[in-house]
Amino acid sequence: MFIGIDLGTSNSSLAVFDGDSVVMVPSSLGENLTPSVVRMDARGAIVTGRKAFRFLESDPGNTWGEFKRIMGTGERLPFAAAGQALLPEELSAKVLASLLADAHDALGFMPRAAVISTPALFELPQNHATLRAGKLAGLSDVALIQEPIASAIAAGWRAEHEGLWLVFDLGGGTLDVSLLETQDGRLRVVDHSGDNFLGGKDMDNVLVDWAVGELRRERTLPKLDRENPASRRALCKLKAACEQTKIELSRQACATLSVSELCDDESGNVVNVDLAVARADFAQLIEPFVARSLAVVRDLLARNQRHADDVARVVFVGGPTLIPSLRERVSAFFGGRVAEGVDPMTAVARGAALYAATIGLSARPARASVSAQSGLALRIEFPPVTADAEPFVVGRFLPAHGERLPERVRIRRQDGGVVFGDAPISAEGSFVLQVALLRHQQNHFQVQAVDSAGKDMALATSRFAIVHGVSVADPPLSRSVGVACADDSTQVYFAKGTPLPARRTFVHQTVRGVAAHSEDDVLAVPVVQGESVRAHRNRLVGMLQIRGVKQDLPAGTRIEVTLQLDRSGQLHTRADVPALGQTFEDIAHVLVPTASLDTAEKEIHKTNQRTDEIRRRAFQSGMAAAVSAIEELPVALAEAERNLSAARGGDVDASQKVHRLLLEINTALDDAEAMLEWPDLDREAHACSLYYTQMVAQWGTPAEQQLFDQVLQSAADARRGRNVVDLERALQAMRSLCKASYWRNPQSLLGEMDWLSAHVTEATDVARAQQLIDKARLAHQQGDPIAFKATLAEVWQHFPSSREDQHKSFGSGIR
Amino acid sequence: MPSDDICLENCYARHLENPFLVLGLAPVASGADVERTGQKLLAMLAAGLIEAENYTTPFGPAMRTAEQVRWAMAELRDPCRRLGHEWWARGWQGVEVGT
Repeated sequence: MFIGIDLGTSNSSLAVFDGDSVVMVPSSLGENLTPSVVRMDARGAIVTGRKAFRFLESDPGNTWGEFKRIMGTGERLPFAAAGQALLPEELSAKVLASLLADAHDALGFMPRAAVISTPALFELPQNHATLRAGKLAGLSDVALIQEPIASAIAAGWRAEHEGLWLVFDLGGGTLDVSLLETQDGRLRVVDHSGDNFLGGKDMDNVLVDWAVGELRRERTLPKLDRENPASRRALCKLKAACEQTKIELSRQACATLSVSELCDDESGNVVNVDLAVARADFAQLIEPFVARSLAVVRDLLARNQRHADDVARVVFVGGPTLIPSLRERVSAFFGGRVAEGVDPMTAVARGAALYAATIGLSARPARASVSAQSGLALRIEFPPVTADAEPFVVGRFLPAHGERLPERVRIRRQDGGVVFGDAPISAEGSFVLQVALLRHQQNHFQVQAVDSAGKDMALATSRFAIVHGVSVADPPLSRSVGVACADDSTQVYFAKGTPLPARRTFVHQTVRGVAAHSEDDVLAVPVVQGESVRAHRNRLVGMLQIRGVKQDLPAGTRIEVTLQLDRSGQLHTRADVPALGQTFEDIAHVLVPTASLDTAEKEIHKTNQRTDEIRRRAFQSGMAAAVSAIEELPVALAEAERNLSAARGGDVDASQKVHRLLLEINTALDDAEAMLEWPDLDREAHACSLYYTQMVAQWGTPAEQQLFDQVLQSAADARRGRNVVDLERALQAMRSLCKASYWRNPQSLLGEMDWLSAHVTEATDVARAQQLIDKARLAHQQGDPIAFKATLAEVWQHFPSSREDQHKSFGSGIR
Repeated sequence: MPSDDICLENCYARHLENPFLVLGLAPVASGADVERTGQKLLAMLAAGLIEAENYTTPFGPAMRTAEQVRWAMAELRDPCRRLGHEWWARGWQGVEVGT
């Protein structure tokens, strides 16, 4: 049994895969969807799901929903009556526990493991929080899967189709659009994009605003908006009714928005809402969202040099994709090629359950130990789900003391007794056999071991099953992960698309000394996520801290940093300092940042000023691309200000949205700034091309010269296309090749020594640096080139990156 | 920038993880070969078979891990990334460098 859970913003669901088919587990009320809502009463008793949902309107102070939108933040949501406050992951754990209890009722055992889905755009802190929620709910083993991959598996795991897929997943809070490809029965994610601020809830909100406007035309209402904490209860009621109306409009051309006793008007009369909403009017209201979602689709296709015609099928996922106008527009964009037979509401949970099978994550409680079963112990390794019709099965016998290994082994398929192999056992007690599968079904096998006398031997474990279906590539990393270095560069450990789990070690050097036995002297190794070569433009996701070293560490000490991401994107980090024999694993997980509202207000003010300044420079430069890059920013800033007001009214989601909006606005400003700096970068590239070409031509090897020609070509392409990132990369490669060539010049070391002598006051330890320079000079005078070079290399270790760069790169202490 | 020696060490580390080297396949291997060999190696590593624990490189044997095998399979599934690795793997072919 394999379990998949869709932990959604609005609703959650749980599916079970038994090897043959996937079924949804209904809640105790018989529904496939459980509202992701938690209520706590004055005694601290918790109610979840539909029972809690009913209190969203009537008791908003003690009932919370939509907490997925603030997963990974340190924001505690208060329950006034009980006087308690819970983190979003703790609330998610309550929803998960409720789903698992339903599974227990349906299956007869409490699941020990499950796959939980997360949006593709979730970053490491949000994934970490989701895993924690799983553990808090009682799961001992949790894996995560990105929602679009889960949907694609559900849609295509038994399909014969090949080609490109597009999964259009519009949930309550986010839009995820993913491009996938099935080739030779193997499904892989090509790329994905999305909008963290676009979901069904935004459509509910626009209907709320419309309804308030309509009501105001008839009477004088009290201040009824998100900025006003006193109106929260009335707005909750109205929002729930709007959501219901939105759902009804998916099935019928007209619906009535009804709320009894919404609030009192300014004359003290009770306001009852009774508004007719036509599907066409609603379509008009949500048109900006539809246009935004299509823009995300177009952007994703363009980024991958694909057209709508290249996409063989579109899979719709999420309740809002049932809205006819949205569905029609997206479907028309792809010529009506929509995958049929996929339930948008349960596809994610179904796919997650199938994925649990592909990674062998069984939900059943662990069986009795092998030794308790009679017979020779055998470990069998096989792919639980595969597209390969002839996969390998590897086995290893684990004989107890006194037990003998079998002579030969064969595998029998249990549908008519087809036998595979009659393989000998290796000296270490293992065998490798290929079996043939019946297509698109579960195949049951039994291992038979034979002793030297030709007799069958009893085995503790002998049966296993393989499902022939779509093989799913390991979940890819959504954004590159690396370490920020002190010169504001990023050492990429795992590029975007790297399959998880992944582990990699790189060697670094400290840029300064670290005092022994000090808890205050901390050397930071910041872990960042993002695509920029500049560390500060990426997102800080973790911080490894080296402190309390056994003896003083000089600058330039070798540090081996290992980053490990498990299948769910959980980050593990360690730094080994070989000189000390010490290992540091003190990773601080960084939360999705939240700031106080006053800080956010100041930040908005600062960002406004920065936007004005960059806009002025953009107009002065006459650079159309830079102007275009920031033309939407005033709208985004206005939205940030609106959300700040809503946050002051108690809307936690709005507070998080302010932060994310500011991050996105500043990223756009960074990009615009990079464009404005283009003339300088372009001039630098031109100068470097001339100077470095001469250097490489004179001192480089033929291979270096050939590579340099290629890099020159890339730089020329980047200059033509005005691509800042590519040109920065090409410049970096040119510098490396030039440096490699330069060292072949016998005069190069002398030039280096002169430079170091002239800049010795910039060293972190001036006395030590001067001492080493003197030593190098002596080695040169004595005609010892090896000592001369080695000593100069040592001097460099006392020359740090600039303080400004180090500050920008999250205070990194390594290079 | 770290010192030249460390840059070189990091550079070697990256190249020794060439997916074709990790999987023990030639640069002409088909997609199906890559998948099947990868799956077989993963199963062998999971079962703790010694013969799967190392692979040959021009600099001598290197230790093979399940993460490397998964990464190698994913790299070779992407046509653009595969091209780059093929280029390097062809360069490695026939190269014998003393350890």
